[in-house]
Amino acid sequence: MSDIQQPTQVNKRKWTAISDPRYACAVGATNTVVAIKGAVPIANCSPGCQLKTTAMLTFENGFQGSIKAGGGNMPSANATENDIVFGGIKTLDNLIKSAIKIYEGDLFVVLTGCTGELIGDNVPDLVSRYQKAGYPIVYANTAGFKGNNLFGHEEVVNAIIDQYVGDYDGPKKQGLVNLWFETPYYNQNWRGDYQELARILRGAGLEVNVLFGPENNGVKDWKRIPKAQFNLVVSPWVGVRNAEHLEKKYGQPFLHIPEIPIGEEATSKFIRQVVEFAGIKNDKAEKFIKQEAEIYYYYLEHFSEFFAEYWYGMPSEFAIVADASYTLAYSKFLADQIGLIPKRVIITDNTPDRFRPAITEYFKNNISEGVSIDVEFIEDGYQAEKRIDEVDFKAGKPLILGTSWELTLANKKEALFFEISTPSSETLIVNRSHIGYKGALTFLERIYNASVGGK
Amino acid sequence: MAELRQIAIYGKGGIGKSTTTQNLTAGLVEHGKKVMVVGCDPKADSTRLLLGGLAQKTVLDTIRDEGEDITLDRILKEGYGGTRCVESGGPEPGVGCAGRGIITSINMLESLGAYTDDLDYVFYDVLGDVVCGGFAMPIREGKAKEIYIVASGEMMALYAANNIAKGIQRYAKTGGVRLGGIICNSRNVDHELDLLRAFAKELGTQLIHFVPRNNIVQRAEINKKTVIEYMPESSQADEYRQLAKAIIDNENFVIPTPMSSERLEEILLEYGLMENADDYRI
Repeated sequence: MSDIQQPTQVNKRKWTAISDPRYACAVGATNTVVAIKGAVPIANCSPGCQLKTTAMLTFENGFQGSIKAGGGNMPSANATENDIVFGGIKTLDNLIKSAIKIYEGDLFVVLTGCTGELIGDNVPDLVSRYQKAGYPIVYANTAGFKGNNLFGHEEVVNAIIDQYVGDYDGPKKQGLVNLWFETPYYNQNWRGDYQELARILRGAGLEVNVLFGPENNGVKDWKRIPKAQFNLVVSPWVGVRNAEHLEKKYGQPFLHIPEIPIGEEATSKFIRQVVEFAGIKNDKAEKFIKQEAEIYYYYLEHFSEFFAEYWYGMPSEFAIVADASYTLAYSKFLADQIGLIPKRVIITDNTPDRFRPAITEYFKNNISEGVSIDVEFIEDGYQAEKRIDEVDFKAGKPLILGTSWELTLANKKEALFFEISTPSSETLIVNRSHIGYKGALTFLERIYNASVGGK
Repeated sequence: MAELRQIAIYGKGGIGKSTTTQNLTAGLVEHGKKVMVVGCDPKADSTRLLLGGLAQKTVLDTIRDEGEDITLDRILKEGYGGTRCVESGGPEPGVGCAGRGIITSINMLESLGAYTDDLDYVFYDVLGDVVCGGFAMPIREGKAKEIYIVASGEMMALYAANNIAKGIQRYAKTGGVRLGGIICNSRNVDHELDLLRAFAKELGTQLIHFVPRNNIVQRAEINKKTVIEYMPESSQADEYRQLAKAIIDNENFVIPTPMSSERLEEILLEYGLMENADDYRI
């Protein structure tokens, strides 16, 4: 199963205040619901909470756009002072009624923010009345004081499993895998990345249950979660809590792979690891790997001419500041496949303590041969920028991968700059992926586009 | 015209804050003072004796039923001797946030112009302990500058009083709030007067008045009247008159110096509250 280490001595500083935030609060997990086809989030919070989380995760994050009950169409309680003094249950009740009336939803998810949680609104009682009346509706406790949108994402997933998917003791389907991967909207390339990873897993001979994004078939995919042979978590930490829950609830084993594979080497290794865990025959997987590798290197050979000749203005060092999953995956590819040297690596997603030792160890000893770096866990944007500012980049133009907050700093450092995480207000994302076989080539394009003067 | 004195009355639940406040108010009225009493308790029973019953619709009930577009006369009733009575009220038990409700109510009173120039005193009768920021509202933002704590010689009443003093100390540092004294509402415990004097001294304040226990108070309550109205010639009525006079003349306002639990226990021991502890053995 997972090789997660138990917490050891971790240098964790408690941030009492942060500037330049790089995540939204737990209510932002409304977007996790939007990512399930036919599901409708009901934001039980103040208007500012709904607006800010949506702006942070969808709009100012590659202008990803939204559909149906997402973005500005999202039902929100818009709680005001009266809802705090007298309790917000009546307002929420009216909102649920309206949402059910207006939206043809297959699943409604009520996410309660700080105000309702602080005054102790009995949302479970209200929602359970709808549940008893046969409505597909669940509730999640997503108060911002409990955690960020990644915490909220995991809360929502567990809430849907417990309250909607429900109990199951039927047979498991061999070769069917539930994919727990990037956090929808928050990880800005999530749609393209889900497609690429699903394509890879299918190529390996597995049947993939895609729970979010363009290849999700709505709630019926959620209903078949318990039937899967196993759960696959591809993330340093997000989703592990869900997989642990599923293991307890349905007796499903899970495979935890912290590194999102990018490039031929990593992706082929990833496929072999999954196939071995699944215990399926590997002939289909090996054939797929061979085909993909051929195409991958066909393109890479053409690129190598540029790589060899265009020696001026190319980066050789980089700094990266983002969430754990992108930071780890991109650093690995850049260091191990492109030969760039990481000079500063900062993870901003408030990674839970129990995962930090493994991530720290990864950057120290597993990133690439001869490369070792101390990863830093910093939530405060001011501190993060300061740490990058302090780096003495020695060889030519450095590459900075981060958020729009780093734009000024990148200019100051005369660095090539590449947005990979929220907020990203200089990037438009329709369908993009930087992972697997195909995405890796796009990733190369993006980086070296910056080298030749494009954006 | 003298400056408006805004006074908050705190104390352990059930200690007699509302009774004391209303009887004291009646005493002030006899001195020709214009008084407003603002009940800050969801139970809304802070003005019952002045109004001759629970005749008052609370601010929050009014807001809930009629919205925020209301006039002052909907929430402010005139009671004994021209006193103005307001009940802030609260949400239904177990729902919403009563603390925030008090903030909403007081803001509403201000915006409706309840604080007129002819007022001499405004009393805030606040429930129980200073449990959270909402219940500290009357002493925040420079509203009530004077606090009196109602206590008795019972241990838990003194614990609560000491805790309240901590709350006052917190706001005294940033605002102008000061402790004006301890009012003893006697429960006839051993050495009560000495104990309360020592306790007040330790807090750096005074025992402003010792109100003896007297059944007349209960009888007046049953009749929905203050003692001064119900039995003006009684000795208990005089006690409240003396309390009113002491508050009118009071110039002793301090930042309290709350004590540690150990020190409080020491004082209790010293005055014999615990010396008969064996009597309680089962």
